[in-house]
Amino acid sequence: MPGAPSQRQFNPYSENGGTILAIAGQDFSVIAGDTRQSEGYSIQTRYAPKVFRLTDRAVLAVNGFAADGNMFVKNVKQRLEWYRHAHAKDMPLRAIARLIQTMLYARRFFPYYVNNILGGIEEDGTGAVYSFDPVGSYEREACRAAGAASSLVQPFLDNQIYYKNQLAATGTAHPAHLPLPSVLAIVIDSFTSATERHIEVGDGLEIFVVLARGRSLQGLEGVKGMSELTTTDDGERVFVVRRELKKD
Amino acid sequence: MEHIDFQKLKTGEVNLGTSIMAVQFDKGVVIGADSRTTTGSYIANRVTDKLTHVHDRVYCCRSGSAADTQAVADIVHFYLQMYAQQTGAPPPVHTAAALFQKLCYENKDGLSAGIIVAGWDKEVGPSVYNIPLGGGLFRQPWSIGGSGSTYVYGYCDATYKEGWNEAQTVEFVQNTLSLAMARDGSSGGVIRMCVITEEGVERKFVPGNKLPKFWEGAEVLGKPVSLATASGPAPMAVEPL
Amino acid sequence: MAFNNAGFDFSNTSRNAFLSEKGLPLPKATSTGTTIVGCLFKDGIVLGADTRATEGPIVADKNCEKIHYITENIRCCGAGTAADTEFTTAMISSNMELHGLSSGRKPRVVTAMTMLKQYLFRYQGQVGAALVLGGVDASGPHLFTIHPHGSTDKLPYVTMGSGSLAAMAVFERGWRAGMTREEALQLVTAAISAGIFNDLGSGSNVDACVITAQGTEELRNFVKPNERVQKERSYTFRRGTTAWKTENIRDLIVSESVKMVGGDEMDTS
Repeated sequence: MPGAPSQRQFNPYSENGGTILAIAGQDFSVIAGDTRQSEGYSIQTRYAPKVFRLTDRAVLAVNGFAADGNMFVKNVKQRLEWYRHAHAKDMPLRAIARLIQTMLYARRFFPYYVNNILGGIEEDGTGAVYSFDPVGSYEREACRAAGAASSLVQPFLDNQIYYKNQLAATGTAHPAHLPLPSVLAIVIDSFTSATERHIEVGDGLEIFVVLARGRSLQGLEGVKGMSELTTTDDGERVFVVRRELKKD
Repeated sequence: MEHIDFQKLKTGEVNLGTSIMAVQFDKGVVIGADSRTTTGSYIANRVTDKLTHVHDRVYCCRSGSAADTQAVADIVHFYLQMYAQQTGAPPPVHTAAALFQKLCYENKDGLSAGIIVAGWDKEVGPSVYNIPLGGGLFRQPWSIGGSGSTYVYGYCDATYKEGWNEAQTVEFVQNTLSLAMARDGSSGGVIRMCVITEEGVERKFVPGNKLPKFWEGAEVLGKPVSLATASGPAPMAVEPL
Repeated sequence: MAFNNAGFDFSNTSRNAFLSEKGLPLPKATSTGTTIVGCLFKDGIVLGADTRATEGPIVADKNCEKIHYITENIRCCGAGTAADTEFTTAMISSNMELHGLSSGRKPRVVTAMTMLKQYLFRYQGQVGAALVLGGVDASGPHLFTIHPHGSTDKLPYVTMGSGSLAAMAVFERGWRAGMTREEALQLVTAAISAGIFNDLGSGSNVDACVITAQGTEELRNFVKPNERVQKERSYTFRRGTTAWKTENIRDLIVSESVKMVGGDEMDTS
């Protein structure tokens, strides 16, 4: 209707699809994400990493608005480097988690449009996963899925990791932690399944594995597409497994 | 007061963002159109035929919504077939134009159709009728329409002369359309033309790489004009050589 | 209700308008965010389609059929609202059959095209069907696109749906006049594949259909470039996994006892 008031606005955000997840084990942590970046019905790139090694004991997965995600990771990495210069050691995982909270909340009224999942090894040697909302609310968990297909993957993880809706056989109990090969299998199946049913998931898969100090490879050595990213030789170790996903 | 926004197309509607025209000369009429159909910025058809047959010696040029103009032209085509069968004679151009006008005027709320009707009949010879958006009906010696026409009103006013022959009229039509297509982003492709006379309808076709060319900024795109050697002002030459 | 009017039922329109004004949106229709194409060649028409159906970003059907039957020598690919394309083509198919029966002639492609465009124009774009219509009749091969508002185009190669730009790029690069059946089928496959891999709304397999004066050849799942990979684990659950609160076993076998009343048994020999 001509003459009727209308309003125009610049929208600084967009949504770039993709999915991330992380699972904590007894003495390891697995953090994974697909590599497709899309907008609407178009693929911007088939390889845009969403999972980043921060230190030898911490890996961060970022999902949502890619420009904000990349900028956020860049800022976190800078803060961690400053910490290294000041204290001559890597920041502990729980401290990184708290740092991320404050960095996110600092932008409470112009948020980073991203969901963060931080995985790694705590100072006590246990595997840990921290998940964040866009403005900094966070929680330590055993597993978490986020992003476009989170509503498909999280229930699957609840069922397979937390044994939700599964009764243990009489006289037995569900294990508190799964072994690494089982976790990797669940992660791969999560992403191949999400690729089947969600149009924004696919192209490539990057799985990061953080092993606690002095632990054996627990079957990782046999996994195809694996390479090591560790920078020191007496601490935690970081590995990445790269796999192809369907491209339609 | 409630206003009707004629220009507004329904979202996702296929648009004939067009350059169309028709010109009469002593023996008949020349009608012409570009060939571009768009949906937003996508060219849905680059070789469209916007010169639509409604009877043996009566054609129309369509602009606006593709769906609306096709539907209206189909209805008029039907009416004219009935007319010819019932009266045993071909319909006059004015009858066809009046049918178009009736449909466009009575359904003006729901249509976005700008149509030029042209042809030859034995009563008045060649004639051109313009039926713009609101459903008016105007007989004109020449008529232009569609989004591209706004760029070439001045050219037409300055160039058109009465008493041209067929060849001169055809040249005028293709020059005008070429200029309109060059300036209007919603027009383009090839030029399709029809010469309608008592003898019949002859189709003419100008491919996209054979369009008549006018000034296209050779001074800018080609070798820069040196300010020292240039006799007149050098348009858009930013740096002196 | 005793009386039912033919056609669409609009009795809920004002209720639905009220509901969406109050913040309850209408349910999302399954859309075939699609790549469909058609291509003319020496002896006829090749039609092509992908097989993905979506509901927003979720894949609703990984192997749906988008090439619909109109008559033996005419087929129609549908993009847009899945229900609209299915119902519209089914209805026109039915009317074409009746038309063929009453006229005693083999139905023509223009007839189907005219029926479709007049139907879609009547609903002013509300029936969201974007179609590629192709076939061979007494006057030769014909290929049309029909947009939801009812406009039609007749072209030697056409694409539609969300993957139409990707597919058209392939056609504009590769189409030539007078191609052979094999060349045309190859080009259509390449065009649909461009949609499958570059458009998120399209995916899974390539369906094709070759129509010539000799007959129609349906090539369902002509290429399957996106088969599901083997799962890493087995997800069969142990018997007794699901918890239950009460157990109730019912006998579903109805037993009847027959008691004869009066007279002899009926002679059934």
